Amino acid sequence: MLLRILNYLNEHSRMLKMLFFAFLALTVVFDFYAERHAPHFFGDSIIGFWSGFGLLGCLGMIVVWKGLSHVWLAKEEDYYDK
Amino acid sequence: MISSTIFIHPATWFLMGAVLLPFLNKRAGLKKGVLIAVPVIAFTVIHWLPDSFGQVSYMGFDLVFGRVDQLTRVFLHVFTVMAIIGCIYGLHVKETGQHIAAFLYVAGSLGVTLCGDYLTLFIFWELMAFASTFLVWYRKKTRSIEAGFRYLLVHTTGGLVLLGGIFLRYKNIHDLSFVQIAANGATFADYLIMIGFMLNAAVPPIHAWLPDAYPEASVTGAVFMCAFTTKTAVYVLARGFPGFEALAILGAIMTVYGVGYAAIENDARRILAYHIVSQVGYMVCGVGIGTAMAVNGAISHAYAHIIYKALLFMGVGAVLEMTGKTKLNELGGLYKQMPLAMIFTVIGGISISGFPLTSGFISKSMIIAAAGESHRIGLLLMMTLAAVGTFLSVGIKLPYFIWFGKDSGVRAKDAPWNMNLAMGIAAFLCFFFGIYPEYLYKMLPFPVNYHPYTAYHLSETLQILGFTGLGFYLMVKKLKPEPKMNLDLDWFYRKGARVFMVFASRPVLSSDGWVNDVYRRIGFRLTMALAKAISWFDWEGIDWTIDGSARGVVEGGNRVRSLMTGKIQHYIGGAIALTFIILIIVMLV
Repeated sequence: MLLRILNYLNEHSRMLKMLFFAFLALTVVFDFYAERHAPHFFGDSIIGFWSGFGLLGCLGMIVVWKGLSHVWLAKEEDYYDK
Repeated sequence: MISSTIFIHPATWFLMGAVLLPFLNKRAGLKKGVLIAVPVIAFTVIHWLPDSFGQVSYMGFDLVFGRVDQLTRVFLHVFTVMAIIGCIYGLHVKETGQHIAAFLYVAGSLGVTLCGDYLTLFIFWELMAFASTFLVWYRKKTRSIEAGFRYLLVHTTGGLVLLGGIFLRYKNIHDLSFVQIAANGATFADYLIMIGFMLNAAVPPIHAWLPDAYPEASVTGAVFMCAFTTKTAVYVLARGFPGFEALAILGAIMTVYGVGYAAIENDARRILAYHIVSQVGYMVCGVGIGTAMAVNGAISHAYAHIIYKALLFMGVGAVLEMTGKTKLNELGGLYKQMPLAMIFTVIGGISISGFPLTSGFISKSMIIAAAGESHRIGLLLMMTLAAVGTFLSVGIKLPYFIWFGKDSGVRAKDAPWNMNLAMGIAAFLCFFFGIYPEYLYKMLPFPVNYHPYTAYHLSETLQILGFTGLGFYLMVKKLKPEPKMNLDLDWFYRKGARVFMVFASRPVLSSDGWVNDVYRRIGFRLTMALAKAISWFDWEGIDWTIDGSARGVVEGGNRVRSLMTGKIQHYIGGAIALTFIILIIVMLV
């Protein structure tokens, strides 16, 4: 039963993708209507601020940390055993 | 009078359980009964605690074993719930030693939570450190033996700093009671104590022991460890040091530091370990901000975090138990084989990410909102960025590369029933607190005037999570796990130790000669006699009446020990035994 659902979803990844993009669009639309009590700082009053924060934060984090890892931090797994 | 109240203390039950367990080796049913009964009794007992009990005067010191207020109650609640879940998860484990270590560890944690003075705190604090080291060693791999020694050394160092602080504080004010310290009147002694606490909370730069040791612990050991050490540290920080600016800033740094490393790590349990650093960062930051709302948030987050982080460690532990693997580059496509473990892990993943209707949504946001209300925008943004990274690596990356991604060809089936039951309970709790936050909120020490389910908070959360998902979708190729390890600050003592060894082997060794001579004549004989006495007790005292399994453990230890010098397990075992004897004498006399 569980497996059948998972298999079904796995075979219909295109549909999932469309659903996901629809969800993203909806969250931004919802932000137009969300009532803002006592905003803490300027970002709280910009529509879609957190969308940009989420996307840029995610991309930025991957670039910065993956970069750090490649340039400096990553070592062979037996680094300390040698 | 003390002896009649001793059974009120929940730690007593775990200590009695630990003493009883070696005698139940041949009775698997009874042993399982004890494993379930002890945490359940402890969970019941904590509801009937008086506000104060177990005051003992010992050599002029006033020791307080039981000081109970709302802050204590909420931590006792989650610790005993977690003990129940952990014991169910480890029910199938045959090595009694692992159960004993877990019981002692939980007892230490409960003891710290209940104590009202620094001396009692220190005893239970060290008990936690020693007992949890065995949870690492019981993995029985060379790597875990080494990691366990490093873990023990780091915690011993931290313990000494704490002890130094306690002594200095006593010298200054002649008072050992464990109460809140005002941020503006704190002395050097208080900061030493705080550093000792911060080490256990894995605050950078003294955090590296955590991602070093936890991934090398045994499957059930890691589940216990992820819950108790850091959260007991959060408790003592919340008790002693709310409003300390250093905590607010370091906590916010922690949140980002942890998720950054989690984004580049390959070992699933190491990813989770770095996320402990990150999540505990929220709590440390909340304690550091120090307002009623922030401290409430820190405590509710500690509660929620213990449950979902244990759930994550249980899910990944189930994969390790069934496949023997935790490295993401060796896993993939497991959804057909371990669907239950996948569902539970994903529930843990969405809880830690703070999805609406899960426990993370109602606890983490409280700290972030408290930062906003105190106009700490820098802290607010760092913590929100950490939330992005959390969803990226635990919410998506980890389940994706274990259960989906490319099929690794690893074949396995779902874990035993008891593991799934434990995961089921934890998963239920994740949703329960997400849907009924009031249940958690009314346990908190300050009245709560916070409503997580507002339209704007929902909108903010859904946008952040959704667009983080988009980021993953765009960068999934870049995130492909690689079989590498990443340097962290443990480099200093792992590589630095070699420099020390070179130094020690030359000048120190020669000047050390005469000390050695003295030691050989006197100290060595004493320690050998002690070791003999302990092993005699182990062999004759226990094995005679039961079977050879304790001897088996010693032999296992012997094989392990061939890697090391000396009989350090014996010394540590002896130290624990001695601590107990002293403790029992103190409590009964």
